[in-house]
Amino acid sequence: MTEFSVDEKVQIAASFLLESPPGEVNDVFNDIRTLIGDDDALQSGILTSLEDHNTEQLITVALPESETEVIISKFGQLEGGRFADPRSKQSFAFDHMRLVASDLQPLEISDDVESLREAIDNQVQAYVSDHYPHGVTTVHASGSKVTIVIVDNKYNPSNYWNGRWRAVWEVEKGGSQLKGSAKVQVHYYEDGNVQLNSTKDFELDINSEHDEKKAASTIVKAIEKAEKEYQMAINENYTELSENTFKELRRALPYTRNKVDWHKIFNYKLGNSIVNK
Amino acid sequence: MSDKYECALDLMRRLPPQNVEENLSKLLDIVDADLGDDLLSAIDQPLKVRRCKQTGKDYLACDYNRDGDSYRSPWSNEYDPELPDGATPNATLRKLEVHANEAFDTYREMYYEGGVSSVYTFEIEDKFAVVVLIKKVGEGARRMKGAWDSIHVFEVQERGRNAHYKLTSTVMLYMITNKPELGHFNLSGSLTRQAEQDCPVDDQSAHVINIGRMVEDMEIKMRNSLQEVYFGKTKDIVNDLRSVGSIKEGKEQADIQKELVGKLMLRGNSQ
Repeated sequence: MTEFSVDEKVQIAASFLLESPPGEVNDVFNDIRTLIGDDDALQSGILTSLEDHNTEQLITVALPESETEVIISKFGQLEGGRFADPRSKQSFAFDHMRLVASDLQPLEISDDVESLREAIDNQVQAYVSDHYPHGVTTVHASGSKVTIVIVDNKYNPSNYWNGRWRAVWEVEKGGSQLKGSAKVQVHYYEDGNVQLNSTKDFELDINSEHDEKKAASTIVKAIEKAEKEYQMAINENYTELSENTFKELRRALPYTRNKVDWHKIFNYKLGNSIVNK
Repeated sequence: MSDKYECALDLMRRLPPQNVEENLSKLLDIVDADLGDDLLSAIDQPLKVRRCKQTGKDYLACDYNRDGDSYRSPWSNEYDPELPDGATPNATLRKLEVHANEAFDTYREMYYEGGVSSVYTFEIEDKFAVVVLIKKVGEGARRMKGAWDSIHVFEVQERGRNAHYKLTSTVMLYMITNKPELGHFNLSGSLTRQAEQDCPVDDQSAHVINIGRMVEDMEIKMRNSLQEVYFGKTKDIVNDLRSVGSIKEGKEQADIQKELVGKLMLRGNSQ
């Protein structure tokens, strides 16, 4: 067997971080910390993976002296490892290990799409608060593109489950196409490890509107409709899996409708073609 | 056991069960060989179907019938690839193994109507182990794929005319759907349960009956738990993350209802 160097082991361990279930990255980190047993090598080798995890998983952070939360994502990433909060028009430094924001500074805003961004932001906030019980949203503008990021986390480790719903939507100013993706993850781990991983990509045609308020309303309505349909498809799939796929794997009772009589197990007359298959 | 062992198990309980094989092999790369061996026997992986060269019958491969890189067929008692000095159960246990394989073949057909089963026995000091394995892969109709793997590990200690059975059962259940309106949906994982029981053993054939009953009871219980966790709990959590209906309207309705109940109570009290 190949013996790996400490740095190589750290890289392997770091890949586990990217697979952490919602809200469990600290637990995964503590596990690999013990397994590697070399804090210095771990600290220096793991930072990129932590950054990737935090931006990919849309980790949220409250800015200093503020109650509203901002989503950490690659869409808000600035030079020097800083992040943007377009709503409060500030930028901030982010500690990927401790998950804390600091060093607030005014954010330079490009005027091209800012009024559209703001119009969308307002309507998305209203939509998110009406459909995501713990939802957070951040809306970014870059060039002529507006990116809407939505995340809802619910962590319940004392009952051994955690969940996360993520959605990212992109639209060009004046554009007639809305592209997006939604990802739902659930981890249930009481005496076991059961995970749901569900993803869907979207490409929707929308009416191009000149009026920014109208455009924002069209976009947010299209998102609401698509996400609702997706959620209903998930619920329907649960029913189908339970009523068909699951039952076909194993019956609740044999076709005799009785439990097996183990004293007669060698006497059961089954169609010999089945038994000897 | 060591801290590292506990942490490795904790890690595997958190990482996606969809990637258990890949993650276990990565884990073996970062721990020393002794711990690696312990983890290989502690962490359940999906069962592999192999065909017995001597009998042409399918059997299941796992850590319990592995010796080096070879796997022993329960039907022929031979290793593949050939392993002349590979570990085999003693004559008494082999007889029990042959009977149990026959019995669980019938049991499997009655409950699973297909699939593959295998039973393995081996000695552990003054006790012995019986491992019952069942695998069923669904037909994959309606763009929905499913697979069920049962792993029942018994530790048996004979005490005069009785035997003490200690059972650890794991069921791995994989369910994958791909369709346009849904995208890619993967609901997979495993549940583990334990049971202990003392039963009379008048002769060796009693072991098959005792083990059979315990497996059947356990699988009935676990099928209910799987149903509840997979199609109840994880679904509820999804609908806790997002609400199909308007949260505001839902709250307003709840408030109206509360007010109505309050008024009715008041009327009831004034009469």
